[in-house]
Amino acid sequence: MRASPVRVLVAEDSKVMRRLLVGYLRQWDYDVVECVDGEEAWQRFQSETFSIVLSDWMMPHVDGLELTRRIRASQRPGYCYVILLTAKTEKEDLITAMEAGADDFLVKPYDREELRVRIREGERIIRLERELVEQNRQLRETQAALVESEKLASLGQLAAGMAHEINNPIAFVTNNLAVLRRDLGEIVALVDKYEETRQYIREAPPGLMDELAQIESDCDFSWLRDHLPELLRSSNDGLSRVRDIVNNLRDFARLDQATQDDVDLGRAITTTVEVLRHEIDEKQIHIDTDLQPVPTFLGRGDKINHVLYNVLLNAIQASPEGASLKIRLSPLPEAARIEVEDSGSGMDSETLGRVFEPFFTTKPVGTGTGLGMSVSYGIVRDHGGTMSLESQLNCGTTVTIDLPLASARSSKSESPA
Amino acid sequence: MPTTTKSSVLIVDDEPDVLFSLKGLLRRDFQVFTAQSGAEAMEVMAEQDVHVIMTDQRMPSMTGTELMGKVRAEHPDAVRIIFTGYADTRAVVDAINSGELYRYISKPWDPDNLIEMLRDAAQKYNESIAESELLDQLDAYLTDAVQLASSDDPADRDAASIEKFKSRTDQLRGYLQCLRGSDA
Repeated sequence: MRASPVRVLVAEDSKVMRRLLVGYLRQWDYDVVECVDGEEAWQRFQSETFSIVLSDWMMPHVDGLELTRRIRASQRPGYCYVILLTAKTEKEDLITAMEAGADDFLVKPYDREELRVRIREGERIIRLERELVEQNRQLRETQAALVESEKLASLGQLAAGMAHEINNPIAFVTNNLAVLRRDLGEIVALVDKYEETRQYIREAPPGLMDELAQIESDCDFSWLRDHLPELLRSSNDGLSRVRDIVNNLRDFARLDQATQDDVDLGRAITTTVEVLRHEIDEKQIHIDTDLQPVPTFLGRGDKINHVLYNVLLNAIQASPEGASLKIRLSPLPEAARIEVEDSGSGMDSETLGRVFEPFFTTKPVGTGTGLGMSVSYGIVRDHGGTMSLESQLNCGTTVTIDLPLASARSSKSESPA
Repeated sequence: MPTTTKSSVLIVDDEPDVLFSLKGLLRRDFQVFTAQSGAEAMEVMAEQDVHVIMTDQRMPSMTGTELMGKVRAEHPDAVRIIFTGYADTRAVVDAINSGELYRYISKPWDPDNLIEMLRDAAQKYNESIAESELLDQLDAYLTDAVQLASSDDPADRDAASIEKFKSRTDQLRGYLQCLRGSDA
C-alpha cells in the first residue's frame, strides 16, 4: 500500500519499552528512529522529517508534553501526528496532553493491536493532510495560470479598444500633416515672392513697411523657412511610430480574419534569418539551424514571420558578440515545434513572468515598444499554438513555439476581441 | 474624352475631423463633397454628379457596406471605395468579392497613395462613362444602319446622306481603335 515507509520518531527513556515499541513498529514496516529522551528526539525532529512521533510522557528534562509543544511551535513543513504514551489515566491529563498539541493518547500498558490501529489512524490523517497540501498546491498553480491568462486577455481587450480609438485621430492628424507640408511650402514660396517684390513697392505707407519688417523679425522668418520641413518631418516620424504601435496592438489583440495560407515553416525561418542578416553580421553571431521537414502549416504567413522576427531579434539582442544561436524545427505528433536557443543574458524569474505583458520591456526607453513578445504570444495563441520560455540569468533563453498542424484549431472565437 | 474639369469625390465619415482633413488634402485635385452619414450621402448623390464615393465602414445607423449597396442600386456609375479601421475587414473583403466595391483603404491611410487611388478611381469612372457613351452611339448607329438598308426612300440614299453616314462610320471606327489601343 505505502509508496515509501512512513517515518516514525520514538522517544522513550525506558529501554525495555522502547525495544518493544520499535520491535512492533518495524514488524509493521515503519521506518523507525529511536531516541532515549525528549531532548534527543527534539534534536532529531529539527533536522529530519517525520510523519508520526510516538513519545513517552514522563521523561527527564524534556518530557513528552514539552516535546509536543516544541513540535507544534516549530516551522517544519508538513504535519506531524503526535501520540503520547502514558500511565496517567485522569481526564485532566488527557486534556493537558491534547491542549499541548498531541493528536492521540495511549495508556500504558497498551495492547499491541491497539497501538497498531492508533498508528494506522495517524498514518491516515497524515495521508489526508498530504493530499490536501497537494491539492492546494495544484489549486494555487491553476489559479495563478488563470490569473495570468485573464490578465493577458483583458490587456488584449484594452489594447484592441485603444487601437481602435487611437486609429481615427492618427488617420486625420497624419493627413493634416501631409496637407500642411504641401500647403506651407506654397505659402513660403508666396512670401518669398513678396520679398522679391518688396523693393519695387515705392508707394506703400512707411507705417505698413515698418510693420512688415517688425513681423518678419519677430517670427524669424528665415529660421522658419529653413526648419519648417524638419518640424513636419519629425512630427511625421513620431506619428508613424504611434501608428506602428497601434498596428502591433491590433495584432496582439486579434488576428484580422483574413485569408490563411499553407505556410512553409522552414522557409519562414530561413527568410526571417535573411531579413535579420544585418543584425546577425553586425554582432558576428553564428546561426546554427536544424530544420527537419514538417508538413505545411495552415495560417497567416506574415504573422508567423512577425513572430519569428520578434523572437530572433530578441535572441540576437540578448546574445554577446560572436555567440551562436540555435534554431530548430521539428515535427511533433500533429504539431510542429520551433525552438530558438540563445546563450545570451537570460532573464531572472521576475522578468520571465512578465515577458508576455504588453509594454513590458527591458530595453532602454525608445528602443523597444514592449510589444514584441506580447504580440507574438497573441499571434501564436490565435493560431491555436503555444509559446513558452525557459531562461536562466546569464545562461541564455530558449523559446519554444508549438503550432498545431491538424485541423484541430477552432479556438479563434475564444480570442479576445 | 474626359473634360478638364475636376472629378467629383464624395467623402462619408461620421467624424467631422476626418472630413475636414480629407477636404484639405483633396481640394486641389478634386471637387470635394462631404457627408456625415449614409443618409446625408444619399442626398448629396441625388443632387450632385458624384464620380467617386469614399466612405468609412463603421458609422452609426448605416455602415459603409450598406451605403455602398444603395449607391450601387441607385447610382451604378459612381466608383465605390471604403476606408476602414481594422476590425471590419471581413465585411469589406466580402463586399469587394461580391462586386460592391472598387477598392478599400485601411485607416490610417497614406495621403499620397490615397490621392493616387482616387485618381485611378476617377479615371475608371471616366472610362466607364466613355464606354457607355460609345455603346449608346454604336446602338444608334446600328439602328440607323438597319433602317437605311431596308429603306425605299431615295432621299436616304443621296450623296449627302451617304457622306454623313460614312463620316459617322469613320468616327466610330476611330473610337474603337482608340479603345483597342488603350487595352493593349
